Amino acid sequence: MAYYELIKNFDRVRDYMREFYLYGFKSRSEYTQRSARSYDDERRRVESWLGDYMRFRQTREGKNVFLSIDSRVSRHNPLYAAWKTKSFTDGDITLHFILFDILHDPDTAMTAGEISGETDAYLAGFPEPKMFDESTIRKKLKEYADEGIILRERRGKSIYYRRAADCPNAGSEILDFFSETAPCGVIGSFLLDKTEPHDDPFAFKHHYITDAMYSEAVCALFGAMEEKRTVTMRVIQRRKERMTEREAVPLRIRISVQSGRQYLLAYVPRLGRISAFRTDNILSVKPGEVCGQFEEHRRTLERMLPHLWGISMPESADQPPEHIEFTVAYGEKERHIHSRLEREKRCGTVERTGAGSSRFSADVYDTAEMLPWIRTFICRITRFECSNAETEARFRDDLRAMYRAYGLEGGEDE
Amino acid sequence: MIFSELYSAYYNAVARILREACAHPLSKAELRKIAAREAFGESLLNIEPAILDGRWQLLNADGTTPLRHAPTMPMTLLQKRWLKAVSLDPRIRLFADTDFGDPDVEPLFRPEDIDVFDRYSDGDPYGDENYIRNFRLILEAIRERAPLEIESVSPKRGTNRYILTPEYLEYSEKDDKFRLAGYGFRQQFVNLARITRCERYKGKIRYPDGVPGIPEKKTVELELTDERNALERALMHFAHFEKEAERLDGRRYRISVTYNPEDETEMLIRILAFGPLVRVTAPADFTELVRERLARQKKLESIENGKSAD
Repeated sequence: MAYYELIKNFDRVRDYMREFYLYGFKSRSEYTQRSARSYDDERRRVESWLGDYMRFRQTREGKNVFLSIDSRVSRHNPLYAAWKTKSFTDGDITLHFILFDILHDPDTAMTAGEISGETDAYLAGFPEPKMFDESTIRKKLKEYADEGIILRERRGKSIYYRRAADCPNAGSEILDFFSETAPCGVIGSFLLDKTEPHDDPFAFKHHYITDAMYSEAVCALFGAMEEKRTVTMRVIQRRKERMTEREAVPLRIRISVQSGRQYLLAYVPRLGRISAFRTDNILSVKPGEVCGQFEEHRRTLERMLPHLWGISMPESADQPPEHIEFTVAYGEKERHIHSRLEREKRCGTVERTGAGSSRFSADVYDTAEMLPWIRTFICRITRFECSNAETEARFRDDLRAMYRAYGLEGGEDE
Repeated sequence: MIFSELYSAYYNAVARILREACAHPLSKAELRKIAAREAFGESLLNIEPAILDGRWQLLNADGTTPLRHAPTMPMTLLQKRWLKAVSLDPRIRLFADTDFGDPDVEPLFRPEDIDVFDRYSDGDPYGDENYIRNFRLILEAIRERAPLEIESVSPKRGTNRYILTPEYLEYSEKDDKFRLAGYGFRQQFVNLARITRCERYKGKIRYPDGVPGIPEKKTVELELTDERNALERALMHFAHFEKEAERLDGRRYRISVTYNPEDETEMLIRILAFGPLVRVTAPADFTELVRERLARQKKLESIENGKSAD
């Protein structure tokens, strides 16, 4: 098939964009899952949509393509562009603009037959006018009714169509901000496209943008939560390169603003417990039956939250948490370290143990999840204890490995 | 559905083209200009012939359109529901006092559907009337490029007075804080929550000659060993920076991350968080910062061990 800039299916290009943006060290020959032709087409598309961010590096293995985006500099998420590339037919676009011109006035209500007649009049001036039969028009109107932009009303035996009442758009500044910070922000970007060009007054620091590529699944999960439904999800296990189907009751989207990951917390009937799924592994979501125990599952989750540091879920709500505590020391001019503990802790308690020392302690389901945070206090940790011996050993072993890596030799005193 | 042609760059570009054509016959040059501005790099190659060859029967040969009105499309249900969800966010009060959005639709998500679990807990006071007033005044001043006179209090430096032309507001999702970036004698950042007084400045600002200096960015080079899924974790973690990754051999990778010098300490502790799986290889002064912290930790360990031995 000849190359075309627009696409019908988002999944394939999303995989390439993820590779180019997150990894960017593979050469063309390493993209073996699909054909070389497919690679060339997708690379060309991404270059057309995101050319300003595309970079190339020549290596022994060949040319590597990658996307380099400093999200503190680009005021809007460039990856949103990919959601604006859905292909359509010549008839779709022609009919779209004519339909909304015929139904310009919200008080105008017409049947599909009447609209069909009007459409012909619009096209009569073209040398080879397109013909849209009544059923094509009816199908398009139904599509638009599902999107909420056309209203259908029955009058006797006939169905009349008219444009849905519009709703005032939010101000551009609201859209500038929330299109980058609210879940499914790409929808805000669609609304921004309806506004006039303007200078964006916001920049964003610590701004992760990859979740944008998984907005469709997250949107469907919100829909399921609203209706308290079970869903069937197609989930990819990236390491095993395997696809599985999972039935689950979505309960909450758990968002990390420090790692760039988003998770779905959901009750999994097969396991009889709540599990976490990375949203970037959820490829599709199909709504199922309403779940009568939705509120009960949510209450169970609420009981677990005070003992969750990240997303490692217990086997059951009754599983006893592990205990962890560490003490940090700081100087006269480093009192902010105590504030750091207070502001950065997600659970647990912080107490002053002296003029220049503070202790953090917590009971969490998985103490290993806390190690990266605890390591940020390296150079101040005077005491570390954990009820999980494995976690404690890992912390100490890792420290020794770091000493070795930076020429400070083993853990023993020199 | 999010992936729909209704939101596509092509539909938007054609809507702009037709809006112009409703006002006056459109020249080819104008058509090209709009298509190039509204769509993507290669879009012009598709949009122009599709319109001019009459495959999309929307523009007559003379540049007029059979449409009677400038094209508009109502907001979709998805857009209305997203706006409704946004209206429930506490930060919305910074922008508007009144409710907005369609009262008859359900929000796409509710506050209880989401949980940002690692945001710092001392975020800005979005319900504080003075904070809201300052935020709106600053936003207005950014729009109008109008100078501001600001007083702020910092625990380290006490009371500071700034006269600056505001450029933009920077928001950190991790810190849940806004900072104002502006120019006076140099580029300055002011934390919004620390502002005690903010007014329009009536006098004239004397800017220094030339462009105020912005500190050059720095780059740190890391060597990563891909164990415990470290590669993916690190590349995701540093994804918001300009970065480059290169494979050295089977499990080892070189990653370079470019950052603002003011964030060096933050960068340092973020690297430390990865433990032995990420090692700084350059520049030497950054490597020394890590080494120095580790040496201090090692010394503390010996003290701890000594105490245990007692």
